[in-house]
Amino acid sequence: MDSWLVPFHYGYMLKAMWVSALVGCVCGLLSCFVTLKGWSLMGDALSHAIVPGVALAYLAGAPFALGAFFSGLLAALGMGFVKSRTGLREDAVIGIVFTTFFAAGLLLISVFPTNVSLKTVVFGNLLGISADDVRQVAAIGGVTLAVLALKWRDLVLVCFDPNQARTLGFSVRGLNLTLLILLAATAVAAMQTVGACLVVAMLVTPGATAYLLTDRFGRMLCLAGALGTGTSFAGAYMSYFLNGSTGGCIVVLQTLLFLAALVFAPKHGMLAGRLRRREALEGRQ
Amino acid sequence: MSGVPDQSRPDSLGVEVDEVTVTYNNGHVAVVDASFRLRAGTICALVGINGSGKSTLFKTIMGFLLPAKGSVRIAGESVAAAQRKNWVAYVPQAEEVDWTFPVSVWDVVMMGRYGYMNFLRLPGAEDRSRVEESLRRVQMWDYRDRQIGELSGGQKKRVFLARALAQQGRVILLDEPFTGVDVKTEGAIIELLRELRAAGHIMLVSTHNLGSVPEFCDHTVIINRTVLAAGPTSEVFTEQNLSRAFGGVLRHFRFDESTIQKHDGRAVTVLTDDERPLVFGKDGHVEYRERSGRESVVKERAQSEDDD
Repeated sequence: MDSWLVPFHYGYMLKAMWVSALVGCVCGLLSCFVTLKGWSLMGDALSHAIVPGVALAYLAGAPFALGAFFSGLLAALGMGFVKSRTGLREDAVIGIVFTTFFAAGLLLISVFPTNVSLKTVVFGNLLGISADDVRQVAAIGGVTLAVLALKWRDLVLVCFDPNQARTLGFSVRGLNLTLLILLAATAVAAMQTVGACLVVAMLVTPGATAYLLTDRFGRMLCLAGALGTGTSFAGAYMSYFLNGSTGGCIVVLQTLLFLAALVFAPKHGMLAGRLRRREALEGRQ
Repeated sequence: MSGVPDQSRPDSLGVEVDEVTVTYNNGHVAVVDASFRLRAGTICALVGINGSGKSTLFKTIMGFLLPAKGSVRIAGESVAAAQRKNWVAYVPQAEEVDWTFPVSVWDVVMMGRYGYMNFLRLPGAEDRSRVEESLRRVQMWDYRDRQIGELSGGQKKRVFLARALAQQGRVILLDEPFTGVDVKTEGAIIELLRELRAAGHIMLVSTHNLGSVPEFCDHTVIINRTVLAAGPTSEVFTEQNLSRAFGGVLRHFRFDESTIQKHDGRAVTVLTDDERPLVFGKDGHVEYRERSGRESVVKERAQSEDDD
């Protein structure tokens, strides 16, 4: 048997690869909005803030996605509340709220041990993912993809020019909330694959890489989606041979591609910039 | 299109600002009892110092802020209803736009058409032809595939004007349209606004560029927390009203107090970038605002005149 095909013969590996490809795709698409809206920190915050929800959901025997989702939203509302009452800068508010939630989650998990271990929440456990969890991840992914397919143009308008959206009579608040809910739901799904610590990488890196490669939002979406899908699939596949953490493999792959784009991107890369400077100098002589 | 007001009767269009008071959450009252009316075929300047409530009033007319008291009505409808009918278009200030955003000139102008599209915002043939027509009208068609950050200040402004045209807004609000714009583009923008006025549109221009107001605005609203004066520019744009609105903020250059003398005659050149003006006399020498302290300069120049 060809050793490169071995992972495809194991049911758990196949499941891990397609689940992470789906999550990678959704995260990649959302990462375009996250990077352009300046919500990277928000993504980080949400991915940590869902931990107590997951812990409580497991304690109560409820679907983990439900608990995670509500604690993510609660954190977002908490940030809005603290910000409107204090005049603190947004990064400080995010820092306070998400660490509080994460700490509460750690405390819950350590005080009330359940079948969910701390390690699973923080680093993900894709290979041991239960059939129930797979269904939840698939549902989240499907709904998010559907909403993005229908509403991505409106979401882009709100990111680029909220005032124009208002002038056209669109609900800016509603669209922002939609994006926030998608982000929270996707953070929950991604937590399963790479763990709470690395979710933010999945929600930022593909978008940042695609941003360096194109000047059009549509192309950026396609690129980021493809990058997210490809790296997540390949990362899960590689983890079989390395016998290493799936999340680690995926994020390292994404970072390598980002670095490649940073240097070699045709227009915004470092080499292209250097070339342009040299040409400009020679043109003057 | 059902939403466009009757083109044959442009008089039916109007903007009515009626005793509008706007307060912020922190209790700050930005505008008190502001009232004015604009009729179809008007270019109106909204003039006031920073903090006069100029941008607050602007945002209220655009529906971004709700007045605590009073009302804004556009062609007899509420702002929200007017927005749904695509009557209100907005040309933002250059600083408000993220110029690094990955969108092309074409994409931005197409955003003006979203209100006419279906749920999925898929552009149809009419949307495309309106976008092309608008881009050609501001001479930006050849730049349609550029990313917006690769344009000059004047070109950037023209893209957003094209978006307002594509939206077919009957009321167009322009926020500081001449900031960062070269003189030639300024002329082209003014020409375009005049054409739109002739077609019955209402343009409300928020500006601190006082010199340009009498050039192209037929109406002026002067504001400082409330409307100090509103009406035809020829009646409202007086030194008295302006000094009431601007207090000691405006930079003065009074010829009779300056080093300008008889020999300079009418050969005085005034250069200004909205800051304190730079004034050159007859022979191209710099003139100073205050005569006191410059007596020697005045004497020297008067002497050289006598020598001639």
